[in-house]
Amino acid sequence: MIARTVYDNEHEQFRESLRKFLQAEAVPFHDQWEKDGQIDRALWQRAGEQGFLCPTVPEALGGLGADFRYNAVVDEEMSGMGLSGIGFGLHSDITVPYLVNHGNDEQHQKYMPGCLSGDIITAIAMTEPGTGSDLQGIKTTAIADGDDYIINGSKTFITNGQLADLIIVVCKTDPSKGARGTSLILVESGTAGFAKGKNLEKLGLKAQDTSELFFDNVRVPKANLLGQEGMGFAYLMQELPQERLNIAIGAMASAESILNQTVTYVQERKAFGSPIATFQNTQFKLAEIDAQLTAMRVFVDCCLELHLRGDLDAVTAAKAKLLTTELQGKVIDECLQLHGGYGFMWEYPVAKAYADARVQRIYGGTSEIMKLIIGRNLLGS
Amino acid sequence: MNFDDNVDEAAFRAKVRSWLDDNAPKKLLPYLEKASFATLDLGDYDANAEAKAWRKKKFDAGWACLAWPKEYGGQAVSPIERVIWGQEEGAYAALGGLFTIGEGMCGPTVMAYADEAQKTRYLPKLASGEEIWCQLFSEPGSGSDLAGLRTKAEPDGGDWLINGQKIWTSGAHYSDFGILITRTDANVAKHQGLTMFFLDMKSPGIDIRPIKQANGQSGFNEVYFNDVRIPDAQRLGAVGEGWKVALTTLMNERMSIGGSMPTGVPEMLELASTLQLETGPAIEDRALREKLADWHCRANGLKYTSARLTSALSRGDTPGPEASIGKLVAGPMMQEIAMAALDLQDLSGMMVDPAEAALSARLQAILLRSPATRVEGGTDEILRNIIAERVLGLPGDIRADKGLAFKDIPTGR
Repeated sequence: MIARTVYDNEHEQFRESLRKFLQAEAVPFHDQWEKDGQIDRALWQRAGEQGFLCPTVPEALGGLGADFRYNAVVDEEMSGMGLSGIGFGLHSDITVPYLVNHGNDEQHQKYMPGCLSGDIITAIAMTEPGTGSDLQGIKTTAIADGDDYIINGSKTFITNGQLADLIIVVCKTDPSKGARGTSLILVESGTAGFAKGKNLEKLGLKAQDTSELFFDNVRVPKANLLGQEGMGFAYLMQELPQERLNIAIGAMASAESILNQTVTYVQERKAFGSPIATFQNTQFKLAEIDAQLTAMRVFVDCCLELHLRGDLDAVTAAKAKLLTTELQGKVIDECLQLHGGYGFMWEYPVAKAYADARVQRIYGGTSEIMKLIIGRNLLGS
Repeated sequence: MNFDDNVDEAAFRAKVRSWLDDNAPKKLLPYLEKASFATLDLGDYDANAEAKAWRKKKFDAGWACLAWPKEYGGQAVSPIERVIWGQEEGAYAALGGLFTIGEGMCGPTVMAYADEAQKTRYLPKLASGEEIWCQLFSEPGSGSDLAGLRTKAEPDGGDWLINGQKIWTSGAHYSDFGILITRTDANVAKHQGLTMFFLDMKSPGIDIRPIKQANGQSGFNEVYFNDVRIPDAQRLGAVGEGWKVALTTLMNERMSIGGSMPTGVPEMLELASTLQLETGPAIEDRALREKLADWHCRANGLKYTSARLTSALSRGDTPGPEASIGKLVAGPMMQEIAMAALDLQDLSGMMVDPAEAALSARLQAILLRSPATRVEGGTDEILRNIIAERVLGLPGDIRADKGLAFKDIPTGR
């Protein structure tokens, strides 16, 4: 592996303290959280106390005002340790930035302290039953009525869906328009007419709560509009590079961690009188994986540097998401095979990683959508 | 190869069809047609009880263990007739999972090595499904390297005392009997110090723990032996000849492959025919059509390779190591198809609840189960070794423990 240059000492110190925190507060409980289908809310508050939530929130809003590399460290450690149930990445890298960038003073004062302390868990409700990758086709409406909006519709596959206290709902304030009729509206859990469906039973990410959300004549004040009316789609597009970078960073960390674990495993596991690491097949497979991960690491770190300068464009982010998540899937599959039967036991991290990796190629835009984005840019259509 | 029935075969098929029509448990058909790979969910029906009832009914009417001799509960029909039965039994065959290992592996081993009284006592009850058998071979330290196993059998009076651990034992938790391979001599080379037994799975000292698997199921078990006593009369084959006996079992495993491996192709075609994408019906998607054609070709290759195997069997030949090809092709293909199927479904592909997911989550089940297919009964890597060495005649892989006494082989986990 080529030495990484993207991080400074401060980031590595932050990583060390985060690691200790997760070892003590999350690792021992994750199995139970898988059974519960969600994590313990108290972890959010403990993480908030230690400053692990939303590092980039500006000091003026009560945050640390740190750079995005601190978020990246959190993403890397979560993924590397297989803590796939903890929704900090969505909160810190995706939803809270919408509030920071598009919220007004009143909204900042009302919600930001809770977002930082872990008392307010956030979610963003985009996908609907029947619309996956096509965000322009959403059907949930928010119709103005005096000083309020009345929201009707349903959302699905919402990460943090059960725990969320504050949800950014993507809806049509003008159903006669496509993208330009889209707005982002804040809905608090407990608002009359708003209901959370059951925790969905998923193929992986067993400890992460993912839900349907229902809106039946939900009345919220117009003050809950985030940014300007009709600008929702544009806001979503602006945040996509960071969202996809978040996924790419997690994919890399997971793949690297599983490779490291597999390297250890093949040196310990013996068959036919010698460690399976001595077999050429094992060496070829691991060499291939290591070479590919080395190259991909350089690319992802470069994307992170570009993003720090504000220069990560949507197409490059799409490339990063496409390549890293596909590579993650391939690497984990090969590593599972090298574990033999043990790779199929749920208690081995590689078995969980296999299940968890699948959705990475789907959410945040499928691999096919990434290819369309790259293709359109290439062919100018 | 001629795939049309001759006169006798057509008559046999008609007989099978009419019996099935009168006797098959049709109430279970809706569940069986939706059965996911390696799972059997019969709703409110008790799956094991229904499977046993169907087995008993087949046995009583003379349709169980078709290949076996009549005196042990079989029907001694020809390989082609077995194939016809399999084709006609169709979805009901999914009820047979409990009995596959007993019929295909344990039974033939008992038949070859047990005494006459034992064969008469055990085989008919195995054939009728009244008693379930499992095969205790793999261990934590010996999977691909089966002959490296360390579960110890020591003589004690007229009995043997067993200590050690087996793993990946399918169905141990509901089995009545098992065949067990043990190490009786560590001072000779690893293949030479083994001895095979059969035993009552309810014997004192056996501790069975189901394994939680990546697909959420628990079909495999860990089995611990703590001073488990087996009478010498239950030894199969001579002391030290366990490897030879195990090869009988494994050869029969290969023979029982005769039927076709699942590939996921029919499920994928059904999904593609019913799924609507944002761009229109999935079946009209060009990229998908290309893949479907590719999978169809490979599935047919498997089908006809398996037919060639059946032809060889019907001529009285013993299938050779080339039978290893089937699983090696089908395993990764199944995984590839499941991945593509989930890609098509976007986030809905992540749902595993059969009530919510397309095609009752069968492709999700395939995705999560298929890694095990590439490991169990010979890993992809071992199969490639077999094909390289025994089909293509390439030089053998280097085996560091060759000729060493078992006790001198370096050990790990």
